[in-house]
Amino acid sequence: MMGPDVSWYIVLSGFLFTTGALGVLLRRSPLIVLLSLEIMLNSANLALIGFARHLGEHDGQIFALAVMAIAASEVVVGLGLIVAMNRSNVELDVDKLTTLRG
Amino acid sequence: MTTPAVDWFALSPTLALLAAAGLALLGSVLVPHRATRVFSAVVCALGFVGAGVAAGLLYWKSPNATLEVADAIRRDRFGALAQIVLAGVGFLAVGISYAQRVRRDHIGEYYALLAAAGGGMVFLVEAQNLMTLFLGLEWFSICLYILCAIEIDRVGSLEAGLKYLIVGSFGSAILLFGSALVYGATGALEFGEIAAAIEQGSLQDDGLVLAGLAMLLAGLGFKASAAPFHMWTPDVYEGAPTPVTAFMAAATKAVALVLTMRILVTAFPAEEDLWTIAVAVIACVSLAWGNIAALVQRNLKRMLAYSSVSHAGFMLIAIAANNELGGRALLYYLIPYSAASLGAFAVIAARERELGDRVTLDNIGGMGWERPTLGVAMWIFMLAFAGLPLTGGFVGKFYVFAAAYDRGWWWLVIAGVIATAISLYYYLAVIRAMYMRMPAELRLAPAGGSPPREALLSASVVACAAVTVGSFFLVEPLIDLAEKAASQLPF
Repeated sequence: MMGPDVSWYIVLSGFLFTTGALGVLLRRSPLIVLLSLEIMLNSANLALIGFARHLGEHDGQIFALAVMAIAASEVVVGLGLIVAMNRSNVELDVDKLTTLRG
Repeated sequence: MTTPAVDWFALSPTLALLAAAGLALLGSVLVPHRATRVFSAVVCALGFVGAGVAAGLLYWKSPNATLEVADAIRRDRFGALAQIVLAGVGFLAVGISYAQRVRRDHIGEYYALLAAAGGGMVFLVEAQNLMTLFLGLEWFSICLYILCAIEIDRVGSLEAGLKYLIVGSFGSAILLFGSALVYGATGALEFGEIAAAIEQGSLQDDGLVLAGLAMLLAGLGFKASAAPFHMWTPDVYEGAPTPVTAFMAAATKAVALVLTMRILVTAFPAEEDLWTIAVAVIACVSLAWGNIAALVQRNLKRMLAYSSVSHAGFMLIAIAANNELGGRALLYYLIPYSAASLGAFAVIAARERELGDRVTLDNIGGMGWERPTLGVAMWIFMLAFAGLPLTGGFVGKFYVFAAAYDRGWWWLVIAGVIATAISLYYYLAVIRAMYMRMPAELRLAPAGGSPPREALLSASVVACAAVTVGSFFLVEPLIDLAEKAASQLPF
């Protein structure tokens, strides 16, 4: 059961986390932003599972399972909102969501 | 492998609210349409009453803090007192929501989500491990995302929901990654074990722990809307239905700050030198940013949003002090602050329903004369925010400053006093606008006639005002309660 060292997993998850964070900050389509949020959550999952394996215990894996459920419900709400905005003919561009401003 | 014993009593406030949420949802299907509003509102209110009573019993019956349910939650008076405050906030929020125009097919869901959000909050203040922390946080956050967007025919509401979802989830993801790093470094999820692992392994300067701690703080900062993590606050507060804003402003902040204190004090006592400074800096930035931005706002909801950022700063001072006096100050401060923000947003909601438009400093003019009860109540709330005597806000600020002084951080006290002085300007501007100025353009309700009678809203506002003033006169018993609660945290 030898694989790469845990540090590789952490580096990869850090890379994914940065990718997701940049996606949230830079991309303008709400869909891509939601996708980037998922990448961020899943990078944390990868770190949790990597650490759990490294430490030889299960807490981290259970945590990751719970996070998956949460990520799913978050996306459900997010997509629901995007569909509702689409129906009310709002342009789907987070830079143009400026009804609220001051 | 044994199944952990579950202390149902410790979970009873959460369970009461979950039951209320389930019943309200069922009611929206089974109860005839005419009665849905009454039914779901009553069920939701009863849920909050039940949670409050359960939390009260929990406070009474928990003279010693214990870890329950496989060390996932900590049954103590610190959490129980916060639960009582939250239950009160939720109960009054139901009264404020009652006359709000929500689409008929969404009424059941509205109250169900309100109860579910409350359930998540009362669960979260007991959280004692990183997993329950994240679960509780997302539990109430997801409910609030939907509540913000519940008026789906209004673009502003949808926009608020989506903005809150994106920024809130961004904060949660940062918090989660921080939790993963702390777990990796210490091999523990429970706060006490984390502290022990840092102590034993001499991990004080470990990069993973430090990065994890920083990310945890940032994630909680997003939820507490402390600057510089507050950028979502004005937009979301403005766009969300006003009763939801009232609930969020009072409850979310209370939860986030109580939890910040709990995790920092129990899990990271070894890093004390670092995080006290970090929290103090965040507090100062929040005070400066919140107050200065509030000065230039015309829209009342946005102004109160920035004012809530500055109040996060005040409460963070109590956390930064990292002593028992600080714990006492935080718990006490929450009572007048929650009451005043609920009440202020309720008054705005009343005006909004009258005008059918956003409430600004211009069109609130004359409200003090038209609706004297609400006018007087608004006086009280603004004075409480500003921290003037005869309101609990004064005592709250006094204790916060005392805690900072006790630690020897007089510069933090000075920052707080300057912020208070600046804040007087815009709080008094609201009162002036309500009484002194004639409305720039008076727009009455389109139907004409007298403003709608909203007995429940007025009753809630009066209750908020009573709590705001009462907490000044009943300061001794309240501080006593807070002291017993704070003494159960390992300062």
